[in-house]
Amino acid sequence: MTMRPILLNSCARAATAAEARYRIDAPIAPSRGTRVVALDDGAAAVVRRAAQQHHGGAHFLSCRSVEMPADGDLAGIADVLLVRDDGSEARLSAELAGADAAVMVATTDEAAAAARAIGDACTLQGIMTAGLVLAGQDTRVTVSALRPHARVLMVTHDEQDLTELLTALRA
Amino acid sequence: MLRPELNELLTQTGPGTPTGELFRQYWIPALLAEELPEDDCPPVRVKLLSERLIAFRDSDGRYGLMDEFCAHRGASLWFGRNEEGGLRCSYHGWKYDVTGQCIEVPSEPDNSNFCTNVKLRAYPLVKVGDILWTHMGDPANRPGLPEFEFVHVPADQTYTSKRWQECNWLQALEGGIDSSHVTWLHSGALKSDPLFKGARGNQYNVNDLKPFFEVAEADGGLFVGARRNAEEGQYYWRITPWIMPSFTMVPPRGDHPVHGHFWVPIDDENCWVYTFDYHPVRALTDAELQNMKAGFGVHSENIPGTYRPVRNKDNDYLMDRAAQKRGEHYSGVTGIAIQDASLQESMGPIVDRTKERLVPADSGIIKARQKLRKAALALRDEGVTPPGADPAHHRVRSAAIVLPQEESFLDACRDAVTATPGVPQTSV
Repeated sequence: MTMRPILLNSCARAATAAEARYRIDAPIAPSRGTRVVALDDGAAAVVRRAAQQHHGGAHFLSCRSVEMPADGDLAGIADVLLVRDDGSEARLSAELAGADAAVMVATTDEAAAAARAIGDACTLQGIMTAGLVLAGQDTRVTVSALRPHARVLMVTHDEQDLTELLTALRA
Repeated sequence: MLRPELNELLTQTGPGTPTGELFRQYWIPALLAEELPEDDCPPVRVKLLSERLIAFRDSDGRYGLMDEFCAHRGASLWFGRNEEGGLRCSYHGWKYDVTGQCIEVPSEPDNSNFCTNVKLRAYPLVKVGDILWTHMGDPANRPGLPEFEFVHVPADQTYTSKRWQECNWLQALEGGIDSSHVTWLHSGALKSDPLFKGARGNQYNVNDLKPFFEVAEADGGLFVGARRNAEEGQYYWRITPWIMPSFTMVPPRGDHPVHGHFWVPIDDENCWVYTFDYHPVRALTDAELQNMKAGFGVHSENIPGTYRPVRNKDNDYLMDRAAQKRGEHYSGVTGIAIQDASLQESMGPIVDRTKERLVPADSGIIKARQKLRKAALALRDEGVTPPGADPAHHRVRSAAIVLPQEESFLDACRDAVTATPGVPQTSV
């Protein structure tokens, strides 16, 4: 290999602490359009607490009901009724329209149907999905329902993981 | 994204800093045993956690690690004479034993007890495997010696190397936790590196460029599972353990040896990377050893007589744009270790984490930072012993496995991620 002379813009100079001063310091673009959705009652309490602590642009929602098709086939779930943290109602389809990330929070296996419905909707719309399952009760069914959709799945004992994740993501 | 004060908290490891005190709860690698190869050999300068130290091996084979500078006038003991049971300063002949105790001050009368009041700060230095380990914290809280599998298998089954990385320890460690970069940065190595190629798992890596991740708590840190599509109805899982504060293992490939790293702060802008390869149930072959010593796999080719890589920031890592274009090396830099180092060093000595744009796939890194921060603050505020100090937490392994899609990787891999003597690694 031919050796080249070390130039002023070489790694040796470019990677110094002094050169870091010249990195462009433009404002960082606004956060992702993140929807945080509680899939069950236990998760709703966690999401409410997170909403109080977090001051980014994320929307905090709780899953009220999953509209099941007449034949009961989960693959055909029509829509999900959500409740915002101010108590007003919203449809999943409308909430996802402006979203590019969805964080689903669950605490029980009762969340499985909602996990599947929201996961499917996010997959169809190309929305990045994360799942946070708070361990304590049996959550295997919900974890299995989240697994195909959640780009990241975290089973944790620490509800603070939610705010940590949102802060790290600038959500 | 991290706030500036949190970035400082996690990246500063000098005496009295929260993360510095956290590191001082653990046994950490101080040198390779080969650096002190015989009794009365030359002493070695060692900087660890922003403390300047000198390591030596006395006439009786005892190892010592102590303040580099003579208590008398502050001259470096690196210039000293290692002889007759101690290290003697070349300036005025003051002599110290391996505990840092001054045992002779030649200018004092023969029956003077002056030297009994002179003691340099010293830390234990213990050989376990190919590494000399030290514990720089309170002796009252000293944990049991390390039980990582790579230092306990027979000597012919393990090999450890070391390299200097010119950046803060945390951005180097984070590369070890983040396995999503393998698909990109190291894609060339999967085809060509003698310590990687030929494994069935490599094809899953190549075929699925968008892995999914699961992050699970371990007693000593985390398990991060990266999942890719395998055959119909199955997933290929690569499971990376992180044991606090800075031990990671790379999931294995085929019957190749298993490897991993220890990331040890030298100061806030440099770290040592200790890199190991071992096989749980067989000796390393001559070819494997030769390749490791030549810098293949996760090792580096170092400048002879030093632990500085041949490919370093002073020569632009010998960037080869033609090889990049040919697809031999994704980044144009040769060698897995230096591919990582080149990018991590390019971030600057301490990356400004207030500017980063993380994505959910970075959750392993996010969780690791949280655990480090909580452990450092719990230690500072309540004296809580951190995870990973207990040697029982060290008995982990990485694993690579194909599982039915419905199976949880941790439920299915409890045994696979536990280091069990005499049992082969779980690998694809």
